[in-house]
Amino acid sequence: MNNLVFGKYIPIDSFMHRLDPRGKLIGLFLMIAAVFVTRSWWVFLGIAVLLAIALLLAKIGIKMIVQSFKPMIVMMIFLFVINSLTIRTGEVLFNIGTYPIYEDAIFNTLFVICRLLLMISITTLLTATTNPLDLTLGIEWILKPLELIRFPTHEVAMMVSIALRFIPTIIEETIRIMNAQKSRGVDFENGRISEKIAAILSLIVPLFSVAFERAYELADAMEARGYVPGAKRTRYRVLKFRFTDFMFIFICALTLALSIASRFVL
Amino acid sequence: MPIRFKALSYIYNKDMPYAHKALDDINLEIREGIVTAIIGETGSGKSTLVEHLNALLLPSEGSLEILDYNLIANQKQKFLKPLRKDVGLVFQFSEYQLFEETILKDVAFGPLNFGFPLEEALKRAAEALKMVDIPEELFSVSPLEISGGQKRRVAIAGIIACDPKIIVLDEPTAGLDPRGAKQIIDLFISLNRKLKKTIIIVSHDNEMVYNYCDETVVLSKGKIRYHGPTLELFADQEKLKEFNMLEPQIVTFRNLLIENGFKVSNEARTLDMLAKEIAGQIRK
Repeated sequence: MNNLVFGKYIPIDSFMHRLDPRGKLIGLFLMIAAVFVTRSWWVFLGIAVLLAIALLLAKIGIKMIVQSFKPMIVMMIFLFVINSLTIRTGEVLFNIGTYPIYEDAIFNTLFVICRLLLMISITTLLTATTNPLDLTLGIEWILKPLELIRFPTHEVAMMVSIALRFIPTIIEETIRIMNAQKSRGVDFENGRISEKIAAILSLIVPLFSVAFERAYELADAMEARGYVPGAKRTRYRVLKFRFTDFMFIFICALTLALSIASRFVL
Repeated sequence: MPIRFKALSYIYNKDMPYAHKALDDINLEIREGIVTAIIGETGSGKSTLVEHLNALLLPSEGSLEILDYNLIANQKQKFLKPLRKDVGLVFQFSEYQLFEETILKDVAFGPLNFGFPLEEALKRAAEALKMVDIPEELFSVSPLEISGGQKRRVAIAGIIACDPKIIVLDEPTAGLDPRGAKQIIDLFISLNRKLKKTIIIVSHDNEMVYNYCDETVVLSKGKIRYHGPTLELFADQEKLKEFNMLEPQIVTFRNLLIENGFKVSNEARTLDMLAKEIAGQIRK
């Protein structure tokens, strides 16, 4: 459970952590767009350098980024094999038996894989440096224009932030209940199917009962504090763009511009 | 054979930017057959320490000898199940682990997992439920329908029914009313006195610790600050001050009695015993 790196928030203090979540979201979109628009290795190199600087500023080790690639490895190998066998343009590089492997196959695939790796790194950087609650505030702000068509942005944001808020709590409960059942001799890893089902049941039932209890308590607490869905609300924490946020967005926008330009120039 | 922690450390989130050393070079011997208390502030590593006792956590460094088992850092462990049978761990808010259709089945769940035949598991479950004062008419009720205090007692019965040699309790009385708390403590003291079970209690309740626990371990920031007889710890004003602990009321009361000319023996640690001793002296 603790090995999941993708999407995990690292609660430390750094330059990247202090940036405005809205700015970081916009930056993320711009950078991912840049990664997808370009066809140039030079742009990739540039983005990788920016990413490395951002990682240093975020005080996040490269180890965590590498770990976040792990779930994607199978997909990448699959992609590589299929692409290598199907793309048939460019020079023939070598033959496997009688089957020719083309230059484009290798380079295009490597390019796609680098594109994916960059995308994952950028997303991991965002989630690692942005508190989930701040992230929902940012999403709510970006969705604001949808209120014109009566989309309940605030309620959706509230639901998302409650869900996010409770993920660590539920994980904690899960570990606690698993430990309690392990102490009663449940083996979650080994055993026959029937034993496994009993093991899972011994986890799911208490987990549901705890989750419902928490939901009732939370609903009561919200009502007690006068929560009315859709009512106009103010916030304790007001997000504010500062100079550094504008600089950050500017750099990301510049990257996208260069990336678009690279399609015409290079 | 005592439980031996040897240079044991435990690190949460090893290799992550926010790694945290919860236990730091613990060397500790807990004697068998007595009641030992583990006290310390929130976050001092008490729960981490006791979760090692039945291998829910394995040491990051050092080792732990318990019964015939030896848990060494970075070694694959194979005998977890028999170890967990011999070391019963009652968790904080243990009432949330109940899930079976009936109370009796829930209590028999542990013994069944540890390989007792069905009939014996049910027999053990019924006996354990009697020990924790759950009346027979509740045996076939769903464990989700009874009161919080009853749930806690059913969960404790679930551990007792496995017949462990060592029973570890993490804040067993948190959130219970005084009477419910006393019932549970009395139960564990009698398990220790009558069946010679080794009892380890993690607690915030210094009064309880003073009343019942033979030895006390004080943890702070993952290190052991004190380990020795409970009476000596609470008699030592300087240590109490150093550990930022309040003197138990019963100690204050005892000291006042002695100051005012009553004779109080060293064994008198509970209100009942004190009352008995001074009652005789007042009559004279």
